[in-house]
Amino acid sequence: MRSVTPKGSVQEAGTTVPSSEVVNAEPARFSKDWLTDRLLRNSMLIVMLLVITYFSYRSARFGTVDNLRTILIAAAPFALIALGQTLVILTGGIDLSVGSLIALAGMSSAWVAVHHPGQVWMTVGTALLAGLIVGSINGFLVAKVNVPPFIATLGMLTACSGMAYVIGGGAPINGLPKEFGNIANTAILGVQIPVLVMIVGILAFSVMMRRTSYGMRVYAVGGNRVAAEIAGVKASRTLFSVYAISGVLAGLSGVMLASRVISGAPTLGKGYELDAIAAVVIGGASLMGGRGTIWGTALGLFLIQTLNNGLDILTVPAYWQSVIKGVLIISAVAVDVWSTSRRRR
Amino acid sequence: MTADLPILECKGIVKGFGGAPVLKSVSLKLEIGTVTALVGENGAGKSTLLKIASGQLRPDAGEISVRGEQLPFGDPRAAHRMGVAIVPQELASIPDMRVYENLFVGSELKSRAGLLDRRRMIKQAREMLDVFEVEIDPQAVMNRLPVGLRQIVEIVKNSSKGAKVLLLDEPTSAISEREIEGLYGVVRHLRNQGVAMVYTTHKMEEVRATADRVVVLRDGNLILDQSMKVTTDAAIVEAMIGRELEDLFPPRAAAQPEVVLSVEELHVTGTAAPVSLQVRRGEILGLAGLVGAGRTELLEAIFGTRTSDTGTVHVAGRAVRRESPAASISAGMALVPEDRKGAGGILSMSVLDNGSLPRLSSFTTGGWLNNRNRAKSVGQAMSSVHLRSRGLSQSMETLSGGNQQKVVLARWLTGHVDVMLLDEPTRGVDVGARSEIYKIITELAKQGMAVIMASSDMPEILGMSHRAYVMRAGALVGELDRAALDRADVQTTIFHLAAGLGDDVSSPTALTDTTKDGFS
Repeated sequence: MRSVTPKGSVQEAGTTVPSSEVVNAEPARFSKDWLTDRLLRNSMLIVMLLVITYFSYRSARFGTVDNLRTILIAAAPFALIALGQTLVILTGGIDLSVGSLIALAGMSSAWVAVHHPGQVWMTVGTALLAGLIVGSINGFLVAKVNVPPFIATLGMLTACSGMAYVIGGGAPINGLPKEFGNIANTAILGVQIPVLVMIVGILAFSVMMRRTSYGMRVYAVGGNRVAAEIAGVKASRTLFSVYAISGVLAGLSGVMLASRVISGAPTLGKGYELDAIAAVVIGGASLMGGRGTIWGTALGLFLIQTLNNGLDILTVPAYWQSVIKGVLIISAVAVDVWSTSRRRR
Repeated sequence: MTADLPILECKGIVKGFGGAPVLKSVSLKLEIGTVTALVGENGAGKSTLLKIASGQLRPDAGEISVRGEQLPFGDPRAAHRMGVAIVPQELASIPDMRVYENLFVGSELKSRAGLLDRRRMIKQAREMLDVFEVEIDPQAVMNRLPVGLRQIVEIVKNSSKGAKVLLLDEPTSAISEREIEGLYGVVRHLRNQGVAMVYTTHKMEEVRATADRVVVLRDGNLILDQSMKVTTDAAIVEAMIGRELEDLFPPRAAAQPEVVLSVEELHVTGTAAPVSLQVRRGEILGLAGLVGAGRTELLEAIFGTRTSDTGTVHVAGRAVRRESPAASISAGMALVPEDRKGAGGILSMSVLDNGSLPRLSSFTTGGWLNNRNRAKSVGQAMSSVHLRSRGLSQSMETLSGGNQQKVVLARWLTGHVDVMLLDEPTRGVDVGARSEIYKIITELAKQGMAVIMASSDMPEILGMSHRAYVMRAGALVGELDRAALDRADVQTTIFHLAAGLGDDVSSPTALTDTTKDGFS
């Protein structure tokens, strides 16, 4: 899963340069080394398949379309913040504020929904704006003031959580207009809007990271900031942008969540940032920056969500679910680290 | 101090990594009180041999004995007990701790109450350092010391624990000429005490200066093992690269009259005086000086990655905005920084991505990467420098040092470059790749680039430059034209200028006017 370069570029590149001298070719196709290499490279995908096979075998309810829909709708709010988190982690940073930013965005959009009923777009706009503002503050602190990302976003986590309570006067905002619930509970061609947003988001971000110069700059800044600057990349601008993007996505996630339950709760999204970070890391990204892919994050995200869902179906007690998830996260990353070092040797 | 018994003997050492053989049956004997230079190009197997001899790596075949006693493999601590110590290429010191703490870490002295006895450690540290006649304050923080002194602390640390065999892996790769003298002193001192040393290096002068014996490895084979008294430099170099080295430095083409880079009164932040210089089309300007003389800082300020207070930079007559690398790049400047791993390439990215970074906008339409276009153009640039890689998709970190340097250099060649700023272009690069890099630099100058090359490698400055400046404390303190560079005593002249040893030396065209306070 730790594929370093965007794959699209790799294949075209390999074939168009006949003149550079070839040394140390990859292991021959279908040889034993090649097979081991393939297996190790896709270790996370294999784990995912094993998990799915196991749950399908244990419960007939797991493998149904209805259940797939349940998994997807549960995954959507996580997916949005995990996408932003991937960008931030690729630059070697971390964004801890997204969980409570969900609460802040959810609360502000609920407040707008109550005070300006009928203005659905305004509620979404408010949530996005709240995300943009908080993300920009994070970005400013990290890129311009050089506050360590962990500290800057930890501070914003606390501040946003407080603001979420301030907006509701310490209580949830209930009695929202019906239209507010339509945002997340409408289905287009049988697919609910949050799921659509998630799918479009994953596709768009994946293309952005592989095929645009912006994506390459993010990888470059995370891989080696000094070297990127020497090559003309405006590193602080890039850093600022990833936090802003992460904020906007958290805002979107917040309004989706609030709309789904048709209420604004200051505890909304609490702890989501950790699941998002886990998804990114399971997906093979390095917390040091420079390595990771959107597909990896998507895979990590669905692994976590599938587990949640499957363990629920098997009626495993919630506390044990946490234990199992924790062990799985650690072992998944341990296998990945081990296989990467094995391949390097 | 000579004894017939070999203190360390390697017999038929074989080692491969992932199917690729690195050492093919290498045998070597070390005697007490001798210095053996282990030379060879990068990838010849030097470091691997040292790691096996110090117990860090397990060989596929062969054995190692210390005074007749077999060394268990894969057990560095056992090797340490038997008196074999290694000073690795990447320093293992702890930068935020003090010198004496570094010397005693792992074997701290304790008082009877079981607490650290700092006073006694400081005292003993001073004694240990005094033996080597080096002036290092035991209470200095390690990362405040120059790299050369840190290296010496590291050697002192290892040898003081009773090492009889000391393996030094490229001890001079990161230190300046003056510091090297200190290192030589330490090496000679240890030799007189009867320590057997192996010393790996790329540089001939060092072999001459320190070694009693030279061992050449090439592609995992031991090619040459001779006493320094009987061998010649040419024989060693030939053994290293397997062919006779045609003149290391290619002939220079004449520079053109047009001034391409003009730096006026550029005051680099934190230095005493502003700097002015001009470089003509096709000219290679050398920047000599000791480590810390401000060469890197000057190049970075010209390029814009470092702040400057006042001054102007013109490229081909047009003013370039200061402190903006992006503006410098679009004006036709390029910087190949000193530290490939720290600042040059992005190791986690592929050759293609590294190659497209500096001119990203020319490979994109509306933000979209044009992969065919950039693969073609980066591919051409890379093959023009004869990059040896598995293809453009290969990750930078799996390339050898010389090839990484080629990528960092060639990535600028996908577009027009008027001014090429090179900082230590061949540091840590083996002889073969070095001569290729020299050819590339000369070729670029011939095509009309103005080149500034900062280097600590004296032969490189002398062999490549049309003209050279000597820097000290951020200022240009002397200028040497080609005639001056060809004089026999030029090295002494440069050294005296660089060290600020007064003007009793004949300095043909010393630039007293570039420094406001002058140099006395």
